[in-house]
Amino acid sequence: MAFFTEYLADPSTQRELLSQTAEHIYLTAVPVLIAVILGLGLGITAHRSPQLRSPILSVVSTFLTIPSLALFALLIPIVGIGATPAIIALTLYALLPIVRNTVSGLFSVDRAVVESAKGMGMSATMRLWKIELPNAWPVMLAGVRVATLLTVGIAAIAALVGGPGLGQEIFTGIRRIPAAGSLESLLGGTVAIVLLAILFDLLYLAIGRLTIPRGIRE
Amino acid sequence: MSTTLTPPDAQDATRRQQAMDEDAASARRDRRAAVIRYLGMPVFLLLVLLGLYLWVTSQELDSIEARTLTLDSLLGQTQQHITLTLYSTFFVLLLAVPLGILATRPKLRRYAPAIIGLGNAGQAIPSLGLLALLFYIFRTQPALPSTGTFPVVVSLVGYSFLPILRNTMVGLDQVDRFVLEAGRGMGMSNRKVLRSIELPLAVPVVLAGVRTALVLNVGTAALAFLFGGGGLGETIFSGFQLRRTPVLLTGAILVAVLALLVDYIAGLIEEKLTPKGL
Repeated sequence: MAFFTEYLADPSTQRELLSQTAEHIYLTAVPVLIAVILGLGLGITAHRSPQLRSPILSVVSTFLTIPSLALFALLIPIVGIGATPAIIALTLYALLPIVRNTVSGLFSVDRAVVESAKGMGMSATMRLWKIELPNAWPVMLAGVRVATLLTVGIAAIAALVGGPGLGQEIFTGIRRIPAAGSLESLLGGTVAIVLLAILFDLLYLAIGRLTIPRGIRE
Repeated sequence: MSTTLTPPDAQDATRRQQAMDEDAASARRDRRAAVIRYLGMPVFLLLVLLGLYLWVTSQELDSIEARTLTLDSLLGQTQQHITLTLYSTFFVLLLAVPLGILATRPKLRRYAPAIIGLGNAGQAIPSLGLLALLFYIFRTQPALPSTGTFPVVVSLVGYSFLPILRNTMVGLDQVDRFVLEAGRGMGMSNRKVLRSIELPLAVPVVLAGVRTALVLNVGTAALAFLFGGGGLGETIFSGFQLRRTPVLLTGAILVAVLALLVDYIAGLIEEKLTPKGL
């Protein structure tokens, strides 16, 4: 382990890792936020309309079938090199877990509860915001969590085609295998990404605590 | 016409007629949906390939592009890509599925949540980092082969092992407890329950595992070029490094088409082999 602590003690490594971590957070948070907004709309639509359900689900799952390196590369001629192709591609990847869980979350809401809200005179919009979405929220949040985990990992590959983030440190290491210093870079980038994934997980735990209504908490 | 004036039989007949019309319409819809489902993807992929071919041949390729985009090298890389995908899928299934079955046996069941938890935690490890670390071991241990297909296949298997193990276990866990209890109640031994209830019911789980492993590996095989394993990732990367859009796009489109085709074929196999009753 001595070699690794030496690597971490180097101020230039620290600067590098910190700025790449910041980039990686950006590369994860932005696509997930966009995917939450788009996924919520698509999920609600897919839940409402039986005709659109299977087209929506099959299109968003097709995105996830396309290998990340290929999708990043496909977007480069359109939007240029840098963070943009990565953000677009990662947004498309993050959609599937969010849309799928929004649909299954909405389906898991007890029909009787929705009916009684109707009986109380709530409009369709009010039922959606006051009854259906809060009841579906735990399942939806689990989808957002999976999407984030997925994005944190795939974001590393953006570095191969000029993207930012902790993938750069791993890529530096790969180019130097088996020279001295390559293992440090591989471990540095990988461990930082794993730590980031754990931090995001803790964040979701906290969000769940704060936002899941007491009445439906397990 | 008011329905109260129609005799009940006639009412029934109209209703039946309506129902039959609806059935016929929905059967037509189903057939159309089935045709789209079976032929949509291959037709779409063929059109994409045709479009790519027409676009590339219409471009004035400079000497570098012409040298990179030869049919020989593209076919060679496609073949490498498929070989890597098939080998790694075969070995990961050979390891992960039996282990998954073993780990859900009654004697070992108490470890199952821990293993599934490990599988979940493993998702946090980025594919690029894990592949690189596994490959590093091959490059630096003199006893292990450091070049060729072998280290790359082992790295791919190392990456897809936990997800496939986890999926197998979760799938087996979902085999209905009541069915198992019924089997035991009929006096079946544990081994009999496994052979005549759990394994047949687990066929879809295994088939889903095959599909997941194929799709996962066809994607990570695009990174094999980093470790000297070749594959179509090579064309993407040289297109990027040389700033040659035709090369970059050809590589990216071929990888995407290959992945979608693999998923499509795996889906067909899954559908064909799943027992009818399920």
